[in-house]
This record gives sequence, C-alpha cells and structure tokens, in this order.
Amino acid sequence: MSAAAPFQRLVYYSRNEVDGDADALDAAIDEILSLSQRNNAQADVTGALLFNTGCFGQVLEGPRRAVEATFERIQRDPRHSDVTLLAFETTDARAFPNWSMAYVGAKPAQAVRYNEIAASSGFDPSRMTANRLLETLHGLAMEKEA
Amino acid sequence: MGKDFAQPPHFTPKDRPLSAHPLPLSEPAQAASAEPEAYLAALVELATPVLLADAGGRVSFVNRAATALLGCTAAPAIALDALFASCGVGGRIALPDGSAPQRFAQLKLSDGRAVNVEARLLPDGGAALTLTDVSAFVREAERARRDPLTGLVNRVTLHATLGRLLQAGKPLTLMALDLDRFKSVNDTLGHPIGDTLLRKVAERLGTVAEDGDVVARLGGDEFTILKPGSFTREQIEIIAKRIVDLVGRTYALEGHMIHIGASVGITQAPHDGSDNDVLMKNADLALYRSKAEGRGRYRFFEQKMDEQMQARRAIELDLRQALALQEFELAYQPQVDLATQEVVGFEALLRWRHATRGLVSPLEFIPVAEETGLIGAIGEWVLRTACRDAVQWPEAITVGVNLSPLQFRNPSLAQTVMSALASSGLAAERLELEITENALLEDTDTVLVLLKQLRDLGVRVSMDDFGTGYSSLAYLQKFPFDRLKIDQSFVRGMGANPEASAIVRAVAALGASLGIKTTAEGVETEEQLAAIRNEGCTHVQGYFTGRPMALADARALLVQPRKVAAIVEEHGL
Repeated sequence: MSAAAPFQRLVYYSRNEVDGDADALDAAIDEILSLSQRNNAQADVTGALLFNTGCFGQVLEGPRRAVEATFERIQRDPRHSDVTLLAFETTDARAFPNWSMAYVGAKPAQAVRYNEIAASSGFDPSRMTANRLLETLHGLAMEKEA
Repeated sequence: MGKDFAQPPHFTPKDRPLSAHPLPLSEPAQAASAEPEAYLAALVELATPVLLADAGGRVSFVNRAATALLGCTAAPAIALDALFASCGVGGRIALPDGSAPQRFAQLKLSDGRAVNVEARLLPDGGAALTLTDVSAFVREAERARRDPLTGLVNRVTLHATLGRLLQAGKPLTLMALDLDRFKSVNDTLGHPIGDTLLRKVAERLGTVAEDGDVVARLGGDEFTILKPGSFTREQIEIIAKRIVDLVGRTYALEGHMIHIGASVGITQAPHDGSDNDVLMKNADLALYRSKAEGRGRYRFFEQKMDEQMQARRAIELDLRQALALQEFELAYQPQVDLATQEVVGFEALLRWRHATRGLVSPLEFIPVAEETGLIGAIGEWVLRTACRDAVQWPEAITVGVNLSPLQFRNPSLAQTVMSALASSGLAAERLELEITENALLEDTDTVLVLLKQLRDLGVRVSMDDFGTGYSSLAYLQKFPFDRLKIDQSFVRGMGANPEASAIVRAVAALGASLGIKTTAEGVETEEQLAAIRNEGCTHVQGYFTGRPMALADARALLVQPRKVAAIVEEHGL
C-alpha cells in the first residue's frame, strides 16, 4: 500500500441531551471542543462540529482506526443520544485539513440564536444527506475563517 | 542490586544467644552437638526468606533471601510495620501471640509481587516470619477469574461474589444482558470482528458501572452486571435505560458500521430471592421476557414469569411427543373466488389435539415450536400431509400451507417441498405456500433465493397477514407474489373506521395493478363480504364463507360444488 492511504470520513448527527440553560450549554460545548481539539490533534483527526438547539452534527476524518476510536469515545458521551450515522466512507482528501475540530454555530449564551443558526445554515440534520451536512459544515467553517 | 544480594544480613541478634531459640531439628541429639553459629550461618544462607521479630514487634534478623525479596535494607531494630513501609510493602501482618500462635497474611511488594507471610510464635514471645513469593499463583488465579477476551470477570467469579454478598445478607441488583443480532454480526462479518465488538461492548458496560459493581461476561454475548447495595426500581431503571441506549449505539469497527441492541433482565435481592441460582434464573427469565417483547428493552423479574416458563416447558415436553403420538391434525378452510363464487382452494390449518389438554391453540404452541426448533419437523409434517390430502380432492384446486420464518433458515426447504410434491403426486401449481413478512425481515436475500427456488418448482407463493408487519412494498418488487392476504384486523375494522376500508381498498388496488390476487381474511358477516367485494378484493376466506373443517367435509364440499350462499347456509354464522 502507498503511504497515501485513504482517509476515513464519518458524518453523524445526534440529539442534544445537555440539560440546563444557555450557560450550561456553553460550558458543555466549550468542554467538548477543547477536549476534542486536544484529542484529535494527537490522533490526527480533523473535522467540524455544529450545534444548534436540538442537535449536534459532526464530521470526523483521519486514519480509520483513529476515527473509529474517536467515534467510540463520542458514542459513550451521555450528552447526546439518537446518534444517526450519515456516512462512514473512505476518502482521498480531508475536507477539514486545518481544523482539529472546527466549531460552526454561535454560542448559545451570546444570542438567542438557535433559530438563526438553523436559518442561516439550513441545519436540519434529519433532512440532510451526508454530503449536504458536510458541505454545510464546510461552508460555515470557511466563512468563519474568512 | 547484586550488591544487595552479596551483603550479609543487616544485623543479627548479638544480645541474645541463638541457642535460646528452639531449633527446628528433628533430632535433639544433633542439635546439642551443633554450634549455634552454624545455625545462624545456615539461617542466613537459607533459600527461604526469613525474618525474626522480638516480642515488641521489632525486627531482630533478616536473612539474605528475605532482603533480596523485599528489595531494600532496613535499620536495626526497626518495627516490622515500619520495615514494610520503608520497603514499599503493602499490607501488614499481626504478630502471633498465645491465643494465635500462627498467623498468615498476604503482602504486596513494591514491584507488584504477591508474598504470603506466615508468622509463628517463638518461646520468648517473638516471632519467626517466613515469606513465600506467590505471584505466579495469584496471577494464575486472577487469570482464572477473568474472561480472556474482554478482561471482565467470568461466570465463576460472578457466582462467588454473588454468593458472598447473599450470604452476608446484602441487598443487590442483578442485571442479565444479551446482545440482539450479535449472531448475524458474527455470521456476516466473521468472528474476529465479533470478538472486537464484544470487547467494545465490555468497555461500554464498564462506563456504566460504578465503583463496586461487578461486570461479568458469562460467555458468548451474555453479560451480567452485579450491583451491590440497595436501589429503588426507579434508580435501576435509569441504569437499565442507559445500558440499552449505550450498547445499542452504532459501532464503527474495522470500517464497518455495526448495529446491535441489548436486552436486559433485572432481579433484586432480597426482594426476588436470596439464593445464587434463584437470582441468576430470575434475571434470565426477565431477560427472556424482554427479548420476547421485542428486544432492545429491559424487564424486571416477576414471580409469574416463573410460572409462565414452567407452563411453557410443560408444553414443550408434550409438543416433543405430539408428532409421534399423531396428535396433530389439519383443518381446511375454504377460499372462495368472489367473481365465480366457487371454492378455489383450502388453507391447511394446524390443530393439536392433546390427550389431556384438549385442543391447544396455535397461538400457544407455535411460538414454543419455533423457539425449540420443533417447527421444522412439524412444518414438514403439515406440508406432506396437506399435499397428500389435496391429491385426493375431486377438483384440482389449491392447498395453502403456512411456512414459519424459521423454516427458511433451513437451506434444504426447496428439497423438502420437492419431495412432498413428488411423494404425494400433487402438481406443483396446486401448492400455495403462505409466508409472513417476518420471514423476509432477517437475511432477506437468503430468503429471496429460497423463494425463487420454490417458484422455480412451480409452486405459488402468497404473502400472509399483509398489512400487519412492515408492509414493505419493496418486498413486492423483489419477489412476484401470487397473492396478498389482507389481515383480518382490517376486514373487522371496516365497519367502524374508514381508515381500515381505505387500506383494504388500497391493497386491493395495489394487487390489481401488480396482477396479484388479493384475499380478504376474517370475513364473518354479509356486510363485510359486500364491503370487501366493493373495495375490489378478488378472493375471500373467513367464517362467513366457510369455517375450517375436517378433510372429509372439505372433500364433501367439493363433490357437490355449491355457491357461496349454500356454503354460508351450512357453515356460516
């Protein structure tokens, strides 16, 4: 096999189970992000996380075992449920090469913005295909970068 | 390190003559003739690690082997506990006295080795301590306690822990768990992935377990969590829900997405019992019930589960003899063509007439037959008997035979059908096999292959109880069924709610456009007959057009063919 083995990409959405007010959500998201950014950087996993009122949407990409290990850790997290896998596939290139975990979406406490996020991103994961979610996350991450 | 080994004992008792100690020699005469220094030298060099302590618990002597084993040196006259502490030894031993001249303890050395220590009282009130490295045994015992695949404790350990807690009268909760669909993962993806999956399940269970909980793998895909302490049902429910949720979450393994589920059976001591075996059985019964109720759920044990299981077992025992005792019989229910009003077939219905039970409902014994695998032999008997009976009918009409989903697990199903046709001489197109959607739920592709084999023989295939399962229209696309049998619940519901009528109409229309016959089942009244005719069904089967009847009656019905009205007169309500 060549050194450029294909990456594995995993896309899912899940239901938010974080109890509490906007501050609690903020804290939970901060914690999730900082932990995943730290773990992912070590494991060579990149991706993006989107959060709105009810849902998490996430893309994970990297070496297969690392992606699987990361996903397994995420699966054990009681802060979300009803995890629906939209895609689990090999890919030649990462969509998020530069983000250990890009976060797209406003912090809940900063604004009553859940609906805005949903409106601006069209983020209704239950109606999305893996590609749409990927594109949405990618677009939002790029916007944020600009 | 070598330096430590080479060192002489750190200190020796100089203030007390060794001869004051009783010497462990069998021959007193020899003892008298030997020099005390010789004993001391021997003790120093003895391969067995030895320490001596005085009556005050201070260490007065440590031989070479003991120094090497402990791996550290000690200050003179240090207290035994202090010596152990300074050497990083975990655990302690109480020194022997008059009431207990011998004491034992197990210590843990700083390097992790386990050492048994035996202390014996000496006449001066001191003690002689001998050390034995038992690490290998401890490791071996630990290995024997654990399941090598997952590292969880095994059945033996679970039983021992459970027994200990129950004996001490402690309250506890036992949760038996097994995986839904694990077998198909093993079958389709192979055992290595199955094993990896079991390890992941074990890890997930580990995250649910709290301090003091025992998580065990009993073998296969069976796990048990033992939770010591007193918990309310509500508290346990939260945990059970979490287990079902967590274990049921998708796994990403070796590039595969794997979906399994968990069923949980729960029992609590002392509420449900206080005996090892009783509690394990309770948990199993509750687990069994939760699986029977649809998997991916949990159930608490109830006393009546035991009684129900006994009753079930009694049925199983009788069922095992039923074929040999010729207790099965077939009844035939007419199927009528609505266009010609003629009987165009009979469905063979299994009856079990037991010597003391009387007529046993299929609802009662078919599930037992399926669970025990007896359905294979019983199903074959039905098939062969129905073919033999049908061949004697004066008209070449069809005979419908039900196939259990379980019969599709047998790859030789087509051969069995072929053999039944050949030995009876029944034309293949007169046999109509009725299957339910459940047969297609698992291993759809395998079942479709079998169905095609059956179709190639020339037999007809109809879908039974249509509308009650998933009613996946995809199945209709994948296999050209000859007939859809609309479940009786819709026919019965037609009068009361318009939805039922709409469904009957839709299925009839679906059948018409696909060129599939539609039989309405459960027609009991003239109004229902008119209604299903109105909605476009092509055939009818029900009490109104003929109850299930004995073979002789079925034959008689055909000898003097009568129209529906006449049948109704004789057999209807």
